This record gives sequence, C-alpha cells and structure tokens, in this order.
Amino acid sequence: MNAAEAPTLRKTDRTKLFFILPAVVWIVIFTLFPLLYALYTSFFSFRFGRLNQFVGGTNFVRLFTDDNLHNGLRVTLVFVVITVTLQMLLGFSLALLLNREMRGKNVLRALMVLPLFATPVAMGYLGITLFYEINGPINALLAALGWGAVPWLSNPFWATVAIMVIDVWQWTPFVFLVSLAALQGLPPDLFEAAEVDGASSWQSFRQLTLPLMTPILWLILLLRLVEAFKVFDIPTSLTLGGPGRATEVYSLFTYRTALRFFDHGYASAQGFLLLLIVSLIVALIFRQIRTVYQEEGN
Amino acid sequence: MRRKTSPVQRILTSGVMALVLLWVLFPFYWAFVNSIKQPADTFRPGAWVPFWQFQPTLEHWIAELSILETRHALLNSTVIALGAATLSVLLGTAAAYALARFRFGKEGNANLTTWFLSQRILPPVVVVIPFFLIMRQLQLLDNVFALMLLNATFTLPFPVIILSQMIRELPKELEEAAYVDGATIFQGFLQVVLPLLLPGLVATWIICMAFSWNEFLLALSLTTKSAIPMPVIIAGAEHTRGVQFWYVGVRVLLTMLPPIVFALLAQRYIIRGLTLGAVKG
Repeated sequence: MNAAEAPTLRKTDRTKLFFILPAVVWIVIFTLFPLLYALYTSFFSFRFGRLNQFVGGTNFVRLFTDDNLHNGLRVTLVFVVITVTLQMLLGFSLALLLNREMRGKNVLRALMVLPLFATPVAMGYLGITLFYEINGPINALLAALGWGAVPWLSNPFWATVAIMVIDVWQWTPFVFLVSLAALQGLPPDLFEAAEVDGASSWQSFRQLTLPLMTPILWLILLLRLVEAFKVFDIPTSLTLGGPGRATEVYSLFTYRTALRFFDHGYASAQGFLLLLIVSLIVALIFRQIRTVYQEEGN
Repeated sequence: MRRKTSPVQRILTSGVMALVLLWVLFPFYWAFVNSIKQPADTFRPGAWVPFWQFQPTLEHWIAELSILETRHALLNSTVIALGAATLSVLLGTAAAYALARFRFGKEGNANLTTWFLSQRILPPVVVVIPFFLIMRQLQLLDNVFALMLLNATFTLPFPVIILSQMIRELPKELEEAAYVDGATIFQGFLQVVLPLLLPGLVATWIICMAFSWNEFLLALSLTTKSAIPMPVIIAGAEHTRGVQFWYVGVRVLLTMLPPIVFALLAQRYIIRGLTLGAVKG
C-alpha cells in the first residue's frame, strides 16, 4: 500500500497524526492506563474498597491455593472446550451442507444473524423459562419423547448443560455464517477442474476445501475461544453461578471477588491470570492465521 | 452449485434447513408468545397460536412499560448506545483513514491495526476493577456518561477495521483529483471519502450500537440506580418478582429487539465486523 501522494511530506506527517492520534490516545487512556492501574492494584490489599497496604506478590500466591478460583477455572475450561467444539463442528458442517444454490438460503442467512445479537443476559433470563422444570417447553418436548423431567437448573451437571445449550444456540450461527462466506469465496474453477479430473466429492473436500479453509477455521476458532473465555452474562442471569458453584465461571468469580467482597487487589491478580491464559491462546493460534490478514496487504 | 444434487439430497437439505430455522427462531417465538398470554394460559399445553388457541393480551406490555424503572432503563440504554457508537465511529473513522491512506514507518500500519484489534482480546473483567476505582474517583459511578466512554472503547475496533478496509477499496484517484483541484487532505477526506463511505459508516455505527446495548458486565459493575440500562434490569428481575413467564417474555423482547433490528439493518457488514476484517461476507 503506497502512501498518499500529498503536497509536502512534512505537512502529511502532521496531518496523519491528527487522524490517528485521537484513537491512539483514547486507547491509552481507557485500556493501557486501566491495565497498569490494575497491575498496581494487584500488589496491594484492599479493605472496604480502600487501598490498604503493599503486600507484594501475596495476591498472586493466592491464585495457586484458592479452591474456588480453581473451580471457576475448571468450569470455564469445560465450558469453553465443549461449546467451542460443538459450535465449530455444527457450524462448519451446516455451512458445507448449505453451500449450494437453493431457495431460501438468503432468508436463512439473514435469520442466522439474530442469535448473534440477541442480548446474552436476556437469553439467560429467557432460559429460566425455557428450562423450567415443571412443564417448561424443553421438558415438555422431552416428555413427549418419553423422557422424564430433567432437573435443568437444580442439578449441577444439567445446569452446566443448560448454559452450554444457550451458548451453542447463540454462537453456532457465527461459525456457520463465517464458514459459508469463506466457502463461497473459494475459487470455483479449482473445483470444476477437480471434477473434470474425476475427483469424488470426498476427495475434493479433503484435498481442496479443507486445506483452503484451514486458515479461516483457525481464525474462527481463535475468535470463538477468546470470546468464550469471557463468558459471564449467560451463567449470571440463568443460574447465578449455581447450584452451589457448579456454573460459577471465572469472570463471575472475579466479579464477585471485586464487587461483592471488595477484594480489589486479589480480583486484579485473577484478572491478569485470565488475560495471561487468553493471550497464550492467541499467541499459539495467531501464527496459523497470520496469512489470512497478510493477504489484506496491511 | 457445482455438483448436481439428487432429489434425496435436496429433501435432506431442506429438512435440515427447516430444523435449523426452528431451533434458531424458537426462543424468540417463545418469548413473544408468552408475552401476550394470560397467566392462566402459560402452562396450558397446546397454546401456541394466538387468537386460535388462546386469547392474546397486551396487558403485560402495558404494565411493564408503565414501570418507571423499565422506562428509565430503556432510555439509559438508548443514550449509552447512541453516545458510545457515535464516539466510537468518530474516533474510528479518523483512525481508519489514517491507516488506509498514510504510512506509519515500515510495519507501523499493520502493528497499529493489530493494536487496535487486540482490544477485543482483553477480557473486560480485567479492567472492571480499575474502571470502578477510577469512575468512583471521578464521581462517575452510576452515570451513563461513564458507560458511554467505556463502550466506545470496546467497540472501537469495529469502525477501525471495517472502515479502513472500505477506504482501501476506494480508488485513490478520486482524492488525488481533488488535491489537484486545490483541495487539502481534510477537504479530500470530508468531501470525497466520507460520502462514499456513508453506507459502511452507518452500518458500523449500528453494529457499535448493538454491542453497546448488549454489554452487561461493565453496566452491572458501574451502575447502582439512576444509570441502570436494560440488561442490568433483566439480570435482577427474577429475584425481585419471581419467574412470571409473561413478564419474562416482555422484558426479554424489550431488551433484545433493538439490537436484533440493528443487526438486520447492518446485515452486509456483520461478518466483516465480527471476524475483525478477515472475512468479507
């Protein structure tokens, strides 16, 4: 990408700063500064929301011994692994199946956007009625299929499943829509050539579709993982982390540490552990998707 | 498209499509149908189609909308979403133009873009504590203005990435012709680029509004009373009044309808936005 051929270089230099600086300063004030402030906070103990005393690495040591935190981490990991796997498999399969000319496809595509923008908190709240144990619609359907009533929200296992079902409902369309868009961007002549050469559908899938889609699939996976680790809204409104701590995801636990128990220093340390985990995942996967962005030419 | 599809295959695909639609749309219909049911009809089996299977009513809508807290929350959500999206698009458009048309050192443009996008990686719970402490210091707790600023921050990556790509797709010759005619860079930006960018600009603004409207964690942490937006109202609702299906339906729809309508309006740009520019859609 060439620079704009503007009158004089020096003038351009000042102009380009005028355009970019507001956003840069904004991010420094509202992201970088708070992050540094959080780091500073994490070395102090707080009592009643007041900075109390310097405690060195104590808050970070607590990360290793706090069973409730480990519970939050475990709940979140299970949630992330299962929901993201399901979303990837379902979304991509569906995109493959519907990647052809057919009636109603545009309507389907438009409607698939709806879950992505359905307020997650509201979905969790609606879930209370969807998963209602006595005569709720889901249990009514299960009863019609000859199953007994599932104790969705009162049983630790089923409560976890309920949260996952809503998340899968919400985000499978994302994998579907992005995969479908990418599938339709693949060069059709390659597939025609393969067909002329007598390749079976399975062969052209294994040797053309899959390799061509791999970078995009990595990208979708990355975006989903990052987003899934932030999970907070659905468990907060559907189960409030319960029963017990069965659905107390990481962010919910940290939120409670910070704003229920006002243990700001420790909550900040928890926040950094989460940031570390997410950053590691990004670092691991980013290498795979670098090519996707480089083709853009930035 | 490429291969001939057999009738069996076509029936199979249509079947799958119907199931998918049912699965995607059911929760919305469930919320709607409950919002217009009399409490007595709530658990009555086979009450699915209004007028035919049950007598619908708007009383729960009217009752909910007459609650001052709800109206206030709707207003707060609107103010926050409008303000945050506008701020975000203003800052983002300028930055997008800079990234698309100027050069910042050898790898500067790519690095700056990545830096802006990395915003979406940050789990909000990491910065909730400093935001809380800072806003308390500035006496901005329970103030819609604080949420406006923070939502603008978290949505900033969308205009930056969507619009910088769009500007790159515009032919540079148009601006250069304007320069030849004596226009300054600012005039070129305002009079040549912005008008061409308008559809994308509006779509991005709408996407930012939807995200700000749906944001929950920061809203929950930074509001206590007068600045509470819809998502926070909804989160506490079942504990104050119990699970009344009809009110759940009304509140869920009041909360979800605006972002859903926004999403349908900005349809074309959503994939590009959500994949941070990697897939055009």
